[in-house]
Amino acid sequence: MTASILIVDDSNSVRMAIRMALTGAGYAVTEAADGAQGLSKANGSRFDMIITDLNMPNMDGLSMIRALRKNPAQCGTPILFLTTESEDAMKQQAKAAGATGWLVKPFVPEQLTKVVRKVLGR
Amino acid sequence: MSETDPVAAFRVEAGEVLEQVEQGLLDLGHRLDDHDLIDAVFRGLHTLKGSGAMFGFDALASFTHHCETAFDRVRKNLTPATPQLIAVILSAQDHMRALIDGDGTERKAEGDAILAKLQAALDGAPAPTPAPAPAEQGWRLSLRLPPEAMQNGINPLTLLDELRTLGDCRVVARTEQVPLLGDLVPTHCMIGWDVELRGAVAKADIEDVFIFVMDDMDLQIEQIGPALCDDARNAAAAPAPFASPSPSASPSATTPASLPAPIDDSRPANAQEPAAAPNGRGAPKTGESVRVPAERLDLLMDRVGELVIVQSRLSQLAHSSAADVALHSISEEIERLASELRDTVMVLRMVPVATLFGRFRRLVHDIARDTGKTIELSTDGETTEVDKTVIERLADPLIHLIRNACDHGVEHPEQRLAAGKPVAGHVRLSARQEGGEVVITIRDDGHGIDRDRVRAKAESHGLIQPAQVVSDQELLQMIFHPGFSTAPQITSLSGRGVGMDVVKRTIESLRGTIDVESVLGQGSTVSLRIPLTLAIIDGLLIRVGDGRYVIPLGVVEECIELSLEEDLRSRGRSFITLRDRLVPFVRLREMFVTGTKPSVHQKIVIIATGTERVGLVVDQIIGSHQTVIKPMSPVHCNVPTFAGATILGDGGVALILDVVQLVALGQHQEERLRAVA
Amino acid sequence: MTMEETSQTEWDEDGWLEVLTFDLQTEKFAVEAVLVREILDLLPETVVPGADRLVASVANFRGKIIPIADLRLAFGLPFADSTMDSRIVVVELDVDGVQTQIGIRTDKVHEVTTLHRDASEPPPTVGLRWRRDYIRELVRTPQGVIVLANLARIFDPLLGGRGTTPVLAPALL
Repeated sequence: MTASILIVDDSNSVRMAIRMALTGAGYAVTEAADGAQGLSKANGSRFDMIITDLNMPNMDGLSMIRALRKNPAQCGTPILFLTTESEDAMKQQAKAAGATGWLVKPFVPEQLTKVVRKVLGR
Repeated sequence: MSETDPVAAFRVEAGEVLEQVEQGLLDLGHRLDDHDLIDAVFRGLHTLKGSGAMFGFDALASFTHHCETAFDRVRKNLTPATPQLIAVILSAQDHMRALIDGDGTERKAEGDAILAKLQAALDGAPAPTPAPAPAEQGWRLSLRLPPEAMQNGINPLTLLDELRTLGDCRVVARTEQVPLLGDLVPTHCMIGWDVELRGAVAKADIEDVFIFVMDDMDLQIEQIGPALCDDARNAAAAPAPFASPSPSASPSATTPASLPAPIDDSRPANAQEPAAAPNGRGAPKTGESVRVPAERLDLLMDRVGELVIVQSRLSQLAHSSAADVALHSISEEIERLASELRDTVMVLRMVPVATLFGRFRRLVHDIARDTGKTIELSTDGETTEVDKTVIERLADPLIHLIRNACDHGVEHPEQRLAAGKPVAGHVRLSARQEGGEVVITIRDDGHGIDRDRVRAKAESHGLIQPAQVVSDQELLQMIFHPGFSTAPQITSLSGRGVGMDVVKRTIESLRGTIDVESVLGQGSTVSLRIPLTLAIIDGLLIRVGDGRYVIPLGVVEECIELSLEEDLRSRGRSFITLRDRLVPFVRLREMFVTGTKPSVHQKIVIIATGTERVGLVVDQIIGSHQTVIKPMSPVHCNVPTFAGATILGDGGVALILDVVQLVALGQHQEERLRAVA
Repeated sequence: MTMEETSQTEWDEDGWLEVLTFDLQTEKFAVEAVLVREILDLLPETVVPGADRLVASVANFRGKIIPIADLRLAFGLPFADSTMDSRIVVVELDVDGVQTQIGIRTDKVHEVTTLHRDASEPPPTVGLRWRRDYIRELVRTPQGVIVLANLARIFDPLLGGRGTTPVLAPALL
């Protein structure tokens, strides 16, 4: 079965780039443009993984992750967040909020698929 | 046992293995590091070589031997799988196929050319980046994740599998911290693991596995030196804290002397793939199955058909007043058995469309390569089943439609980018069952159908007048006219204009329909609807005038009364209001020109296909009837209203109505009346 | 041409051809014996609405649905009710490689006999009240003239082609 991944990022081009990389690797991709959308889409469907940016309007990444983890149905869903090199403190916060892992921006598609594969196991 | 020719049997099996290898290679193209796929491809090549040699296909055996060797190197991680290598082996497939099916000529020149390309691909493969020459022989790890790790999406099994890709592991679970059942929180990770990892692995690689949990977990890494390795191997039990009583010799542990050359053994930094394979992916389905020649299935179907007919005569006899009660109950019993037998045999004839869809991936791959476009094919509904007689006849039309979508639909990368679309064009092939039909759609996100060009072409062919007003649907349907192709250039793939009309005719010969939807700039969708040509269906037996007819029960929605007054009142209108919707109806008595008077108790049988409905006015509804469909004679192929005929219990004949045609008729009627109104 | 004529429908090397002779109304007709499968009493027929009048109905022949053809219509002969002597002659013709059975309604069946080529001549180009292409040969016998029908030509338009020339004699349409 194809793994389904939700991408949450307010940047259209980032979403597009991630989509291209992931669909090329055989994953099914759904998009959301901000934390609120991401939350509603995730809670409405079952995703095998969620990838999210942290800085977004209408609910930032951290709040979304916290809200997701409150839903028992999202227990165990891997959540990756996108971060820049300099945001080390963010990593701790995000992990505390319930994130699984991270990806450092900017990244090349192979990096992304490598991390996705590592965390998903497929 | 009909197959007495082993060579023929080999050809059939080799063909299947070859197809599996091809699918594996295509999948590998997307996931170059998937070891399970690599293994599967290698096994396939190995099988071909072995059985080829056994059946005297020497040219095949020796050619495949080279491919197998090349793939063995990939399997052993001596060479990475590259797109170039995969492309060469894919081209080798065709050569192998030719050797299998062929006349025995060795085709040495072609074979050598491919082998030369193979060598080039191997030699040219980027050397795996050497990690710092690891002197370590092994590691001992002790790890424990924080309890909330799993809730936060960390899967300890995935981590362990990742470790296994680095080298041979012996894993022992530490369960002493797992609480009693009453205190157990199922989502907490209370198990720890001790791992003994053998191999020339860098510590950094191990730490990489745990990169996301490193800060929160307990991880101890201890190096095992060569001397320690030997000790561990010879010791009866591993030293504490590792509590497992392990067999001493680990057959997979290697001594320094037998390590492969350093450059081959190290793994490229970016090529790690967790060894855990998703269940079933790429692995051929095992399970009992039997090969049955198609003719035997047809024979079986005929027998069942005859049984159904005789059984209905028995049923008639039993229902007559002369029969005794015992006969009645036996007749019912046999009716039930015959019905179950019929259903079982029905299923035998059904074949999933996956068998068709599989071929198309290669097709799209080749077209993309030849045109320089990037095209992805996705499929959905592969498990949808279709009668086997239908599936073969769908292959050519589908190939043509996919070619069309790739060739004329999907634009070149530059055009796509300029239009703001992703570079990769998408073609989606889906199948589903709906009512009594199979619906197959081919959707592309290309540039759609240019109405103006179609119009110009139609006018130049004299199909419509310059000022004539035609609906969008009618305009789109023109592409199915013979000789029609609006492609500015005729490519070698399509565009000769011989395709679409043949497609339409083939679909119609299966009593199906084909429709096109298209949005300029966004793409097109072609939909095929094919009735499930089941040889035996549940039917509704009706009477119109002196004749009896059958309507497939699957499309019957409901039956309502039509009183004489209502009948008279609706002269010239032919609509009824059914729950706030207007449903057109057709008076079969008039359509069939029976010349009889209408029954006092006429009924309207409402039938539906997809979203269209039509009512059929009949004189009498006789009852349900297990209908064995007998084909109409070729002499009656011009009569569109009937899809076949059946023999009734009394030996008489009832014609089976073609619902698609009738619904279309109802729609025309509706449109005509609307136009007049 | 969708229907093939096998060599057995031709005069053999000595000029003989085996045929089955029958009456349609007052005229004598013949078809190649090799095409005949069976001769039956009349079967119950079911009308096929919308079919060409030449093959207006079908019948159940041993579990197969076969069309029943009325050659009287093809030759413009008057319609008459069936009699005790009426029979159905089931012929089998090759259509695009598929054997197709058709039942021909006849008023009386005579016999299987052989005709000789020397006694036959192609239908005249003028003065014939029937469609010329429906007739293979006219054969003189002591009993009168026998019309050797061209079944392939009569049934061809019904098969595979849509919108081809109508089969029925214009006079009766």
